[in-house]
Amino acid sequence: MSQKFHIRLASQRVNTSIAENQRYPKIFTPGETITKQNEFMRGHGTYEDNGELKSSVAGVREQVNNLISVKPLKSRYNGEVGDIVVGRITEVQQKRWKVDTNARLDSILLLSSVNLPGGELRRRSVEDEHMMRQYLQEGDLISAEVQSVHSDGTLSLHTRSLRYGKLGQGVLLKVFPSLIQRSKTHFHNLPVGASVILGNNGFIWICPIINNSEDSVGGFVQNLEEKVPRQERESIGRIRNCIQALAMCKMMIYDTSILYAYEESLKYSIVELLVPEAMVDIAILTQHRLSMIEV
Amino acid sequence: MSLCEAEKTFVLHGVEENLRIDGRDREQYRPMELETDVVSHAFGSARLRLANTDVLVAVKIEVDAPFPDRPTEGKLEFFVDCSANATPDFEGRGGEELAAEISNCLSSAYSSSLSFDLTKLCIVKGRKCWKLYVDILILECGGNLFDAISIAVKVALWNTQVPKVRCIDMDGNTVDINVCQDMFECQRLDVENAPVMVTVCKIGDKCIVDPNAAEEQCSVGSVVVAVSGNRLSTVLQTGMGSLHPLTLVECLKMGHKVGKKLDEAVKEILEKSPKGGDVGFLN
Amino acid sequence: MPIDHKRINGPDDTLPYQLFIKLNRQSLSQKYKELVQNGKRHDSRTPLQHRKIFMKTGVVSQAKGSAYIEVEKTKVIVSVFDPREIPNRQDYSLKGEIYCEFKFAPFSCEKRRLHQLDAEEKQYSQMMKKALEATVCRHEFPNFQVDIYALVLHNDGSALSAAITAAGLALSHAGVPMYDLITSVTLGIQKDTILIDPTTKEEQICRAPFVKEQEDNEHGLVVISMIHTHNQVAQFYQTGSISLEKLSHLIETLEKACADIVPVIQQCLVKHVIKTIKKSSNAN
Repeated sequence: MSQKFHIRLASQRVNTSIAENQRYPKIFTPGETITKQNEFMRGHGTYEDNGELKSSVAGVREQVNNLISVKPLKSRYNGEVGDIVVGRITEVQQKRWKVDTNARLDSILLLSSVNLPGGELRRRSVEDEHMMRQYLQEGDLISAEVQSVHSDGTLSLHTRSLRYGKLGQGVLLKVFPSLIQRSKTHFHNLPVGASVILGNNGFIWICPIINNSEDSVGGFVQNLEEKVPRQERESIGRIRNCIQALAMCKMMIYDTSILYAYEESLKYSIVELLVPEAMVDIAILTQHRLSMIEV
Repeated sequence: MSLCEAEKTFVLHGVEENLRIDGRDREQYRPMELETDVVSHAFGSARLRLANTDVLVAVKIEVDAPFPDRPTEGKLEFFVDCSANATPDFEGRGGEELAAEISNCLSSAYSSSLSFDLTKLCIVKGRKCWKLYVDILILECGGNLFDAISIAVKVALWNTQVPKVRCIDMDGNTVDINVCQDMFECQRLDVENAPVMVTVCKIGDKCIVDPNAAEEQCSVGSVVVAVSGNRLSTVLQTGMGSLHPLTLVECLKMGHKVGKKLDEAVKEILEKSPKGGDVGFLN
Repeated sequence: MPIDHKRINGPDDTLPYQLFIKLNRQSLSQKYKELVQNGKRHDSRTPLQHRKIFMKTGVVSQAKGSAYIEVEKTKVIVSVFDPREIPNRQDYSLKGEIYCEFKFAPFSCEKRRLHQLDAEEKQYSQMMKKALEATVCRHEFPNFQVDIYALVLHNDGSALSAAITAAGLALSHAGVPMYDLITSVTLGIQKDTILIDPTTKEEQICRAPFVKEQEDNEHGLVVISMIHTHNQVAQFYQTGSISLEKLSHLIETLEKACADIVPVIQQCLVKHVIKTIKKSSNAN
């Protein structure tokens, strides 16, 4: 895409499906009976009707022992305790913040579950309550861990670790939550010169490498003066477009797939990665390399 | 969605560096997808997708009487519908103001006969003329509406087939028009100079085109520049804030330059497009 | 604005009789020739001369602030009403809102105007809002809305500019905090004739090109609103067909024309204050 404009006709549209084998798993549609035996337990995406277990979403069946759930491709985020999420503050309330985490309901971050600057454990005073907006205000992005899930599905978050807290300069990217692969760590310092936080909720944060973990104070400071150098900016942009390519082709997103996609993308310029053909090409090459290590 | 200061700073520095967050430079557009002949009931139609923005334009033609003060001209009207499908903000009368702004801007850009010649639409002077209804439907709203709509309108008008008039019977005050039955005997409209709009967005001290949603939030003001041929047919300042006169001229220069190139790119793709029978709308 | 169904609106479509008189049958090129003769326009102004302006504040006693402007025949009344809470709004907005309504009185133009706002009036309202948003210190009245109504009593060209200038005056009369005074000027161009502050007749001539094939067939109207001391353009609108070089040149011309109006507004405001002081000292 050396020229400034790229207009294509719809007839030249590329197929973004890159499934290798044509064997698709059975996809259940809402209302479809999954099983008539009633020894199974009802999981997410299912409901019981006359002793039959039926699907309430369109997706594939997943079974863990007796628990049957149907997992849709597109869904809002279903939180689980211990998940790492990236969220945006939507409201400052009495002693708590509301956070948009792409879940069905806004999540809650209590004032008591954040590390306040200047000391690990201290009592929350009335002043702290008045200062809440100075720590985090509407629009701010945070990384946090899910502390508990309430009965109505509301998530309670905490940032009681130096890794979590307010995010500085960088780019937020939103993908389907089901595309994020669960792994031991969701914080990655990629060797190509950027770090990513793969939130389980589908929010991905890409930012310059964070190297000084010892002098962070719970992360309420943003450095607005510092200019991110061009080189880092380029790798952030490239990673962003690579993840978007993977997401478009519905590939799982984790550190290895991002790295492979990054390496495969080097033959294109960053802007060329916005063109669908290039995106599919990268996704196919990445998939190929991933299947190589599996063997 | 509102961005936090740090994100805005990142965008701002990127614009200064001439490397935006998705790797584009300041004068670059995101890839677009174009489709013509999507509505079979319309005389001409086009759909344009620019990243997340999706617009559908259909042209309907009716016979009408020309305005008494302009007896030799046909009529051209624009209707913008911000359907609540696009974003819940448009629900009820929410999108009305935006719709009015866009349709006013379009009719202003098309008002000069140098950009679009309405006299070709006249059938009988002072009595009968063609009236073009250009209906614009916003299916999805992902920023940069003006640009996307102007291109879609231009392509839809290019695609429009005006029926040929075979003969006219004049009997006193009544005028009878006989239109060709054959659908293949139609005339195309001349859209050589139909305006293309470019929204130039000022972020920090620099200007960019085709802002995405995040960049739109960082902008302090923007100027919509409608480029028709080599001229400017409409300039409209939008958004909050004011601009220094020199910045305004900078914006105009940039809009003019980019608009001309964009116009060429659109024409190029139209030449390539197959005559009739494209893919279906919901492919 | 809710539609008043009980009001008898008169005929939907009317035709001004002027369309049928001989003078109107003149061709555009003939009209163009008569536009400027011996360097004088039909009202004996030079092309770059603005019409005389008369302004007065406090014409509507019930309103918080009001202004009346007369640019020879063009007459506009603007009234500004107290800030009030934004109606039908859920979320809190940090900045105040401005609501503008630009209306032509039914009898103000050659053609009769209806009571509802038509597309042109809505467009002008939006431009007026755009211009005033940049001048008013909106952060000083969060979640409140200031209503501004402009009514054109007689339209003889450049009505929008007159309304914006008057609205700026009315806002300062109302005591609404503002960064600066705002002035607005309209300009028409046809071929190489540039006319500042065109009358209706001149506006009409500038709207359409009368030579198709020639190179120098530029035509159009430009409206600019300037914030004077900050030297910022608050609102800009152009229509027609003008080349980039010409337009850049026009912006410079308009800048100067806007600056010329500022003393008139300042004088009017000072006069108003002196008058009030005199009145109160007399009362004492």
